[in-house]
Amino acid sequence: MKTLKQMVAALLVFSSVAMPISAHAQGRSPVSLSGDVMAVETSVDEAGNESTQLVEPSVIVPGDRLVFGTDYANQGAEPVENFVVTNPLPSAVRLAPDADAELTVSVDGGVTWGTLGTLTVANEDGTTRTAAHADVTHVRWTIASIAPGESGRLEYPAIIR
Amino acid sequence: MSLFATPVVALFTLSAPAYADGVSAGTLIENTATATYEDGDGPQTVDSNTVVVRVDELLDVTVTSLDSGPIGVQPGEAVLTYEVTNQGNGPEAYELTANPTVAGNDFDTTVVNIAVDTNGNGTYDPGVDEILTAPETTQVLDADEALRVFVIVTVPAGVTDGQASDVELLAEAVTGTGAPGTVFAGRGVDGGDAIVGATGADDSAVGTLIVGITSVDLTKSVSVTDPFGGTNAVPGSVATFTIIANVAGSGSVDDLVVTDAIPEGTTYVDGTLTLDSVDLTDASGDDAGEASDADGISVDLGTVAGGTVHSITFDVTVD
Repeated sequence: MKTLKQMVAALLVFSSVAMPISAHAQGRSPVSLSGDVMAVETSVDEAGNESTQLVEPSVIVPGDRLVFGTDYANQGAEPVENFVVTNPLPSAVRLAPDADAELTVSVDGGVTWGTLGTLTVANEDGTTRTAAHADVTHVRWTIASIAPGESGRLEYPAIIR
Repeated sequence: MSLFATPVVALFTLSAPAYADGVSAGTLIENTATATYEDGDGPQTVDSNTVVVRVDELLDVTVTSLDSGPIGVQPGEAVLTYEVTNQGNGPEAYELTANPTVAGNDFDTTVVNIAVDTNGNGTYDPGVDEILTAPETTQVLDADEALRVFVIVTVPAGVTDGQASDVELLAEAVTGTGAPGTVFAGRGVDGGDAIVGATGADDSAVGTLIVGITSVDLTKSVSVTDPFGGTNAVPGSVATFTIIANVAGSGSVDDLVVTDAIPEGTTYVDGTLTLDSVDLTDASGDDAGEASDADGISVDLGTVAGGTVHSITFDVTVD
């Protein structure tokens, strides 16, 4: 439990620090972004059926699954257009293989974008190969328009390398 | 659902090797999303808060025997070689325990020492390789670092050829061991937690000794042919000596050299030395044998495995 409290405290510290900075830099933004991370815990019931729950990350080690989420909301009076959320993957995680295949991703640090199946990666010998989940460096979501008062949530699953 | 289950499983299998060298304990995973959009005032940018999680320390270890097979031993000292590998993602030391009384042993050895291959040459060097003192604990191994260790044992007197004995080496993470998932709060890198991995944070491996007591038995016989077609030893009779070298046991002997003097009152017949019915020259250095009337015969059989029989013959004439 001690660890859980520490983790929650860490999340609170960052949220209280990061939000005012961005608000200051951008003026009063009508759009709010709120990030969170949850760990995926797999449990087995008495019948042997596996089920997963999202829990606060307490103890996490390589191979564990995390879900990074971002809640967005348009708190202004006007609609916002061409809403694009870009999320660089932390280097210590890779995109989980069960991520949405339609997710727009980059495997070159955000230079080129597409669904994973359309991207390639250069091998050391100059040949190329189809990009894999572990190659993904960024994920991106595009929403054409958010009406005033509208909100939503974006998520991507990751596995600790 | 079953249609989707198979490809998902396959993908997990393909990506499994990425787990092998995991992210180091203490690594901070920080995630921030950035949004760009357009409102009435033009393009805008907003960042999310940054969420941070710290990677905890996974406790995992493997022990393997580096001996390619059973080690042939005789009463006295024997050395077994093992490798301890930190399979976790953070620095960890391991307490080592050598157990010479493994179920099924034909005999039990006595553990003398556990030593570290300090000079890394793969061979136990007394006086060079560090001997661990109780409680025998390795130095701190980095993630994925392997350490070669030796267990020095004494094989008791009275063992018989072919008897076998196992010696088990156990390594336990100093931070703690237990069922996978056991958490040691605050005991990981940078004050993070340590969690027991799939190995239980302990592992053991068995090395095997097999007694190879090898004996060499020499049997010498002679047959005489006299000049008259009989078998009497009279001047001019030819005596053919046969030496049977019978090497018995499960081991082998090195540098086995069979020598014999030419008996008094007889003379070696040049060019009659044979080994296993193949002629050898009398000269030294060109093959396994050499012979002369003054120095007798000598046949170098080299390393001979147990269960091998060699036959050496030579002729003399009675003076």
